[in-house]
Amino acid sequence: MRTTIARRHLLRSAGALGLALAGPRLALAEAKTLVAATFPGTWSEADRNVILPAFKQKTGAVATQSIILGGDQVSRLAAAKGNQPPFDVAFFDSPQVIDAVRDGLIVEYPVAKSPNFKELLPSAQDKWGPKITMQVIGIGYNPNKITTPPMSWDDLLDPKYKGRVGLTALNSQLGIAFLVEVNRLKGGTDDNFDPAFKFLAQLLPNVGAIAANLGAYATLWQQEQVDIAPYNFNFVQTLKAKDVPVELSIPSSGAVGWSTSLHLVTNAAEPELAVQYIDLHLDASIQDQLMKPPYDAIPTNAHVKLEGAITKSLVKSQDDLAKIRTIDWEKINPQRSALIDRFNREIKT
Amino acid sequence: MGAPDSKLVLPLAALFIAFFVAPLFVLLMLSLHDEVAMTSWTLGNYISFFTDRFSYSILIDTLLLGAKATLVCFIFGFPVAWLAARASARWQSILLFLVILPILTSVVVRTFSWIVILGRYGVLNQIMLALGLSREPLRLLYTEVGVVMVLAQVQMPLMVLPILSVLAKMDPNLPDASRALGAGEWRTLWKITLPLSIPGIVAGCILTYAASVTAFVTQSLIGGARLIYMPLDIYQQAVGANNWPYAAALSIIFMVSVMAVVAVLNAIGRKSETHGLG
Amino acid sequence: MASVSRTQWDAISIKVVFGLLCAVALIFLVAPTLIVLITSFTASESLRFPPAGLSLRWYAALIDADQMQRAAWNSLVVAFWTTIISVVLGTAAALAIARSRAPLMRAADLLFMSPLLLPALAFGFAALIFINKLGFSPSIPLLILGHVIVCVPFVLRTTLASLSQLDPGLLEASEILGASRIMTFRRVTLPLISSGVGAGAFLAFMASFDNVPVSLFLADERTEVLPIHLWQQIETNLDVRTAAASGVIVIATLILMALAEKFAGLTRQMR
Repeated sequence: MRTTIARRHLLRSAGALGLALAGPRLALAEAKTLVAATFPGTWSEADRNVILPAFKQKTGAVATQSIILGGDQVSRLAAAKGNQPPFDVAFFDSPQVIDAVRDGLIVEYPVAKSPNFKELLPSAQDKWGPKITMQVIGIGYNPNKITTPPMSWDDLLDPKYKGRVGLTALNSQLGIAFLVEVNRLKGGTDDNFDPAFKFLAQLLPNVGAIAANLGAYATLWQQEQVDIAPYNFNFVQTLKAKDVPVELSIPSSGAVGWSTSLHLVTNAAEPELAVQYIDLHLDASIQDQLMKPPYDAIPTNAHVKLEGAITKSLVKSQDDLAKIRTIDWEKINPQRSALIDRFNREIKT
Repeated sequence: MGAPDSKLVLPLAALFIAFFVAPLFVLLMLSLHDEVAMTSWTLGNYISFFTDRFSYSILIDTLLLGAKATLVCFIFGFPVAWLAARASARWQSILLFLVILPILTSVVVRTFSWIVILGRYGVLNQIMLALGLSREPLRLLYTEVGVVMVLAQVQMPLMVLPILSVLAKMDPNLPDASRALGAGEWRTLWKITLPLSIPGIVAGCILTYAASVTAFVTQSLIGGARLIYMPLDIYQQAVGANNWPYAAALSIIFMVSVMAVVAVLNAIGRKSETHGLG
Repeated sequence: MASVSRTQWDAISIKVVFGLLCAVALIFLVAPTLIVLITSFTASESLRFPPAGLSLRWYAALIDADQMQRAAWNSLVVAFWTTIISVVLGTAAALAIARSRAPLMRAADLLFMSPLLLPALAFGFAALIFINKLGFSPSIPLLILGHVIVCVPFVLRTTLASLSQLDPGLLEASEILGASRIMTFRRVTLPLISSGVGAGAFLAFMASFDNVPVSLFLADERTEVLPIHLWQQIETNLDVRTAAASGVIVIATLILMALAEKFAGLTRQMR
């Protein structure tokens, strides 16, 4: 008798639990959700801490982040082509835009629906999607271990750094840009990467660790497992804010950079929300906030005056931004998988 | 009593055929074609794998990794099972609780904590340096040694439980008789206990091996970019390079290889069983 | 005389060697969990151990971690339904397998256990291709089905173990006394195997909640689950909130395990 009552009670509570678990899912379906891609590192934090709350306040909708590298975003969108895309907002570096436009993965940006668009610098107003920032690479180093900032990429080869040099896998923009820049400095061209791989082979004895992804890379710095490595201005600033000993030095060969932009994906589930989300990134007050530590993102809105770490380490004014050397991605893109493959073979132990 | 009950197996069997066998079949089909639309048959994916030293060295490395992790797991796991089998009920429960604990904590959590332990200034190095066991911090993170260590810890329950299950059911008269006849503990272990626990050992090794070779999270978080194993290769080809047919071929090759190893282990187990009792 | 002291020496030495190996093993089993738990209480931004100071700030940060909470909720829902389906289908299959010696049944047993032996990553990828071919997109129900495949072996194993200890005489007695098959099942079989089923259900739940290889392919950004979210966080950021989330998972696991031990005798089912 007791067991029957207990069992019935159990069945009822299990049923109630089941309904309870199913219930909120139905409720969640009511609140609108936008899935937006963002880059690992500085930008995922910037988006999460600044953009997401502002978005919720402005639209009442909830935004979900998909933290994924630009190259992987293109792959995911291509795989889902014809069906609903895994995210509605794409976050690309310059190279990905070319591939995405060619494959029909993004649509032209509906400028009319985006009030902040015309406030951007003319160079940032691209019909496929507004450019929201620039990223610059240089030589990251631990100021506690290395007292004079390294001024040349060749410093990485210095025997006194044996086992202390870091590298990141080529799937990230940082990795590819480093390879391309070194290639250029060593006399290679966009068609011939042998000088770059020769440099890599010389570098390998000095290399202490190669991180598979940017999170692991950050861990290497935090655990002081590497002292000198190619790095990106924004990532360095973000780590500094977390008390990690790292500084960025722009080598005398000059700063290399590229722009980063946001795009509306083809067949987006929530296109209206997507445009509002992107538009928020273009707002002067938001860009001003993102320019401050710990993000130090270079702004593209003409009304935002450059200040802070950007002016100290990189450029003094908006005009100087145009002087940062860029890369011809049209030539590099088709070689991307071949380069990644060759890199993986070189570094495999 | 038998026949009507047998029908109870049908629902699960139907699910498995629809959602396990069918997908694997589609995977096999995809691996034999050039692209996802499956318009042209080709053996190209397999050929490019087997003619490329880089690719099949990844397979060999993965299979060897499993072997190393299983060995380490056995060396440490057998004593745990042996002591647990002899322990009182209360201690046995406590030991088992500790053994199952890792497998029930999230794999991401466990692997993440190992990053804290194995780092340059991590716990292990702090202890080693403090005890004077090493003059310089050891490089464990992003090395195969590190991966083997973490895999052995993460999979240890899979090794301990089957062995314990066999040891607990073993006839206690046999080791007693051995001791009464004057054999020492080590001899008893070697001649009696180990041979009789082979079924458990083999089961443990099979489960540990299968879990170790496919441990994607552990291999990639602890191994880093320079240690590429099959799971990462499959994932990179599938998600990164969008090369689904090739990734499918890699998956089939991987599955067949693991099944082959498991079949070998199984055969060894069965052979030793009959041999040991003879 | 000499042989006595040799056996004594043997007995001591084996206990010392095994004891040492066992102690090392146990330290290695428990330490990582403890360390991540302690590290989660750090006051600083970094993951150094020992932590620079103690604070609950990272647990507090979890309150705002909307996306992490949504992922955790998805994982709970998926694990719940996976467990229910696994228990129902798995128990039924176990009953069939335990009562029959037919070769087809042996084959079925092997089939149901094979997800434990085959690389789950390969299965996850195969499932994704299959779904795409049929014209579907990843969704929660399909994710649940994928999880059932890799979790039902646990239910099957523990239930079969329980059934093997079931005295067939009891079932005969029940039939002789006139009970129908269903009644025999409800009143005799089920209560006797309940702890086996319970332990299997518990393992299936944890396996689903923690699953990465299948979720990697069948869970996309719109149906995010917690292990993938945590893994992404670790891969992309140096974020101590991951340690706090880990701390919550560890504490929750300990509580669940203690409950499973008390009510289902979890460790007893493991033998």
